[in-house]
Amino acid sequence: MEALEMFTSDRNADVYTEELKLNLGPQHPSTHGVLRVELAMDGEIITDSWCDIGYLHRCAEKIGENVTYLQFTPYTDRMDYLASMNNNLAWSLTVEKLLDVEAPERAQWIRALVAELNRIASHLIAFGTYGIDLGANTPFFYAFRERESIMQLLEKISGARMLYNFIRPGGVANDIDDAWMDEVSAFCDDFEKRWVEYNTLLTDNFVFIQRTANIGILTKELALSNGCTGPVLRASGVKWDLRRDVPYLEPYDECEFDIPVGEGTHGTLGDCWDRYWVRMREMIESVRIIRQCIEKIPPGAHMEKSMVKMYKTPLKPPPGEAYVRCENPRGELGFYVVSEGGNSPIRCRTRAPSFCNLSVLDKLLPGTMLGDAVATIGSLDIVLGEVDR
Amino acid sequence: MEALIGLFGELFGLEGTLALSAAYAVCIGSILGFVTVYSMFAIWMERKVAAHIQVRMGPMVTGGWHGWAQSVADAVKLLFKEDIIPTRANAFMFWIAPAVVFCGVFAGLIVVPFAVGVQVVDLHLGVFFIIAIASIEVIGVIIAGWASNSKYSLFGAVREAAQVVSYEIPTATALLVPILVVGSFRLNDFNTWQAEHHWLIFHSPWLAMAALIFFISSLAGCKRAPFDLPEAESELVSGFHTEYSGMRFSFFFLEEYTSMFVAALLTATLWFGGFNLPFVDSSAWHPALAMPIGIVVLLAKTFFFIFVQMWLRWTLPRLRVDQVMSMGYKYLVPWAFVALIATAVWDYYGWGWLPL
Repeated sequence: MEALEMFTSDRNADVYTEELKLNLGPQHPSTHGVLRVELAMDGEIITDSWCDIGYLHRCAEKIGENVTYLQFTPYTDRMDYLASMNNNLAWSLTVEKLLDVEAPERAQWIRALVAELNRIASHLIAFGTYGIDLGANTPFFYAFRERESIMQLLEKISGARMLYNFIRPGGVANDIDDAWMDEVSAFCDDFEKRWVEYNTLLTDNFVFIQRTANIGILTKELALSNGCTGPVLRASGVKWDLRRDVPYLEPYDECEFDIPVGEGTHGTLGDCWDRYWVRMREMIESVRIIRQCIEKIPPGAHMEKSMVKMYKTPLKPPPGEAYVRCENPRGELGFYVVSEGGNSPIRCRTRAPSFCNLSVLDKLLPGTMLGDAVATIGSLDIVLGEVDR
Repeated sequence: MEALIGLFGELFGLEGTLALSAAYAVCIGSILGFVTVYSMFAIWMERKVAAHIQVRMGPMVTGGWHGWAQSVADAVKLLFKEDIIPTRANAFMFWIAPAVVFCGVFAGLIVVPFAVGVQVVDLHLGVFFIIAIASIEVIGVIIAGWASNSKYSLFGAVREAAQVVSYEIPTATALLVPILVVGSFRLNDFNTWQAEHHWLIFHSPWLAMAALIFFISSLAGCKRAPFDLPEAESELVSGFHTEYSGMRFSFFFLEEYTSMFVAALLTATLWFGGFNLPFVDSSAWHPALAMPIGIVVLLAKTFFFIFVQMWLRWTLPRLRVDQVMSMGYKYLVPWAFVALIATAVWDYYGWGWLPL
């Protein structure tokens, strides 16, 4: 950067400035929880950064090795608490793979429907908080208005607003009816109109583009080598989405939808604006999937018959191991479990997308300014509950 | 002021220094009262504007009708809050900073003509005085940021210093444009000139441009979004007043809202006719009628511009610190000088623009 060359902390130079250590977090408005980033600042410019995580470590994986398979489902809610349905889904699929059973067809469609609804809710938070990070407070309230509708819809079928515990090994907790699906399609109609409003308010705003284009450029190579997934990877131009490439639910095979990838519209490929715009377009793709789910959902049972006994006596899967990954709003969530035939797994491991996405932060920050650091952290859309587990 | 001295002489038989002191006390008291009441109203208004932009209702309970007493309740709460001075802070500097900050903008109000004859001092250099005295505020902010012994505060203070000092150039240059047309620094002359001729905003395209430049750079001067970098919440927690609490904190608030008022008032007085009504010649009216109408008209115009400031704040994202600087130096400063020179040429040849 030009400014970096003018003033340097090199003491042999004619004009030098003293380095300032700044603690960004763990209590800071824009670290999305309890992330702590230690920044070495040269005036307004960041020269080095160290990410410090672990403030929200709750031993989720160890707990998974001490409770039964079913009891662990609510714990997965609390990892990425903004996308509980998707976490439940990944865990349920892992247990089902271990047991070698498959959820009934109707359950699979319900799962896809609620997972996509939750994806919209999660991306809405990303959109709203990103506005706040950049100083625009208003989009947040618009995003929360729509998220409220989603939470009310999901509350009607699961009884909970945020931590649903709805998708369970073997199927889903409750069946859904036509009246509920009508409400969902009414929401979809509403949402598409509101989505255009968001773009008027924030996406196309000149100041917003100035703040995000060409900032925090994540190259394809860096993204791949750090295991970035989800919108962060796709914004760097890699068209990789498990829903399309490794369909883990029947509807993803049968529904039509596009995978938005970054195009570098306003700057370089893989900048903050691209990551933001990929999320925005994914919301519309989710609406498309939801519409098709409502149309094509087959009748039948919502829970596998043979699995019902699991809810009475602790289930003991045969010895073996299973790894399943799902496309969460933040990227690939993977669960790895090893069973030795007991009540609980002897090894339970989570591959958290936020954790891998956060690993690029230290490489993106040096050379940018303090305001850009906030924009970059926001564009990675991390959930600390998932990073620290 | 002179009228007040005369009044005291008539009513209580006060003379000389005594009458002068009494008149000063009344003037300062009334301006202080006005600033306090205005700030409470402006804070309530800000909350309401923000709420309605953000599809909310805002305060609705306190005091009954649309939560009108919310600001009063907040002020009382702030008065009763514990006054915390951080252990490693420089206590004296920490203590004096809010006062320094508030004095600057407060003093600016004494030269403002609210209506015919409603003015504390009719300074010949009124516009110049406001700009000059308002700069004191920066010193207070730097003191606050430095004395707080917090890195975020220091960042906020340094940003504030850089921003306000830079934006004073376009502000002052844009102010010179109407001064060039009217030929006076006295704020009352703008009211008379605009009553006799037309609103200065319609005088020539360059004056409209100067008004825009002044309004934008006054936003930066008041630290309002999109230039609210000194207190950028998502970056610096709350900038230079991070460590302040209670009444001291509320002084920074008073300062912010008062400087918004001064900026809006200058825009209204210099470009939008001051206390004159559009299309109505009020020069022949009786002072008893002209005075209240003048005050209402001026306040209405001022509050319109305050509303615009709030509207922008709740709509736009914040610029980055270098973008704020480049906007000031690369766009506003050159264009302000263009407007100044173009006005000189335009008025020398006496060109018209709109059929006025």
